[in-house]
Amino acid sequence: MRAHTTTNPCFRVILLMAATAIGFTAIPAESKPWWMRDTDSNETDFLPPDIAFRAGAGLDGQVVRIRWVIADGYYLYKEKIEVKAESPDLVLGTPVLPPGIMKTDPYLGRQEIYTQQVEARVPYSRSDFGAHPIQVKVTYQGCAEAGLCYPPITRVMFASAALPPPAVNRPHRWELIAIVGGMFAFLIAGFGLRRGRKLALPAQ
Amino acid sequence: MTYGGLRVIGAGVLAMLCAWAGARIYANWHSRSYAEIRVPAGLASVPSPSDIRADTALSQPPPQPPRIPDALPAFTLSNLQGQSTPISTWAGQSLVINFWATWCAPCRREIPLLNTLAGEWASKHVTVVGIAVDHRNEVLQFADQFKIHYPLLIGEQDALDAAAKLGVESPAFPFTVFTDRRGEVVALFVGELHRPQADLIMSTIQNIDNGALQLAQARRQIAEQLDALAEKT
Repeated sequence: MRAHTTTNPCFRVILLMAATAIGFTAIPAESKPWWMRDTDSNETDFLPPDIAFRAGAGLDGQVVRIRWVIADGYYLYKEKIEVKAESPDLVLGTPVLPPGIMKTDPYLGRQEIYTQQVEARVPYSRSDFGAHPIQVKVTYQGCAEAGLCYPPITRVMFASAALPPPAVNRPHRWELIAIVGGMFAFLIAGFGLRRGRKLALPAQ
Repeated sequence: MTYGGLRVIGAGVLAMLCAWAGARIYANWHSRSYAEIRVPAGLASVPSPSDIRADTALSQPPPQPPRIPDALPAFTLSNLQGQSTPISTWAGQSLVINFWATWCAPCRREIPLLNTLAGEWASKHVTVVGIAVDHRNEVLQFADQFKIHYPLLIGEQDALDAAAKLGVESPAFPFTVFTDRRGEVVALFVGELHRPQADLIMSTIQNIDNGALQLAQARRQIAEQLDALAEKT
């Protein structure tokens, strides 16, 4: 008995399209590290401090939220984070920071650090009835794992616009629908393409 | 349009849907692998640039390599005893000028290596000079505790000015400047110095001092060999 083994051209087109689409969407473009050759210094191996530690401020009710997004291979010291009121009639409470990672350095002892991202929540009160924009002076300090430390960085930030809620690792509802829908679609596509096709049986 | 054509188009659309779903599965899996990194509770996700108002960082131009002067610029800082000491005190010697601060962990880690280099290279007219960019009292206490065997200079804004003269406008620490005996700046190494890099740079400087290499050749050679070292590690 000889089965019909020729691959359906439509199916091949679909496979090609699917592979191309997955290739373009699933694999992010790798960004090359800063590595500028033909210079006399290796300084560009490291990120500038404002890129290594990207900071932003927002408001959430009666709380000022300050968030840092920390580049891979870099970290911030918890104890070096300070937030002070900059605008008049603004009174800030004690910043609330999540627990960090304990890092033990033989020359500096145990230090609590943050990697990836961290958010400080600072309760505030104001007596100017909104006359002044809320400005905070934020100081922070961090290092690169590769062996470079930045001096303390101080930035004055406006906390006027609300920050988006912190991203959590939970798939969106539409993501689940797409996954399940995609599976069904694949199944239906397979059935649709096979429909009407008959197994070519050898002549008796 | 024929029924077959419609089927192909329909299947194509469905395949794209599948591809998108696949991409989302991949992205979800990818972010979970990042989530295994220990991060503060409640924040276990890959940071997204859109998470913050990046009104400062992202709009900045990419970093430019520092413009390193050919000759060691003149500057004067205080020594441990508080006396003004020009860098020309060590004229005629190859210098390893290490900028550091007491609060900097990699700077602290470098000190044993710098102590060793100071001892090993002293007979070859090489001097290690530490420049602490820090508060004087803290440096004095630290120098006593860590038994630093090479000369130290201390400064705050004046030390930052000296760094700027060497092409490092916004310094991060540590960084080390290497000069030859004629006072030419051969290399600037940013970050924690390790033995292989120190040996490589200092042996190249010896070749300049012996007349076997010119400055431009030496700079190029050091850059290439540092690249090769970095690729190995």
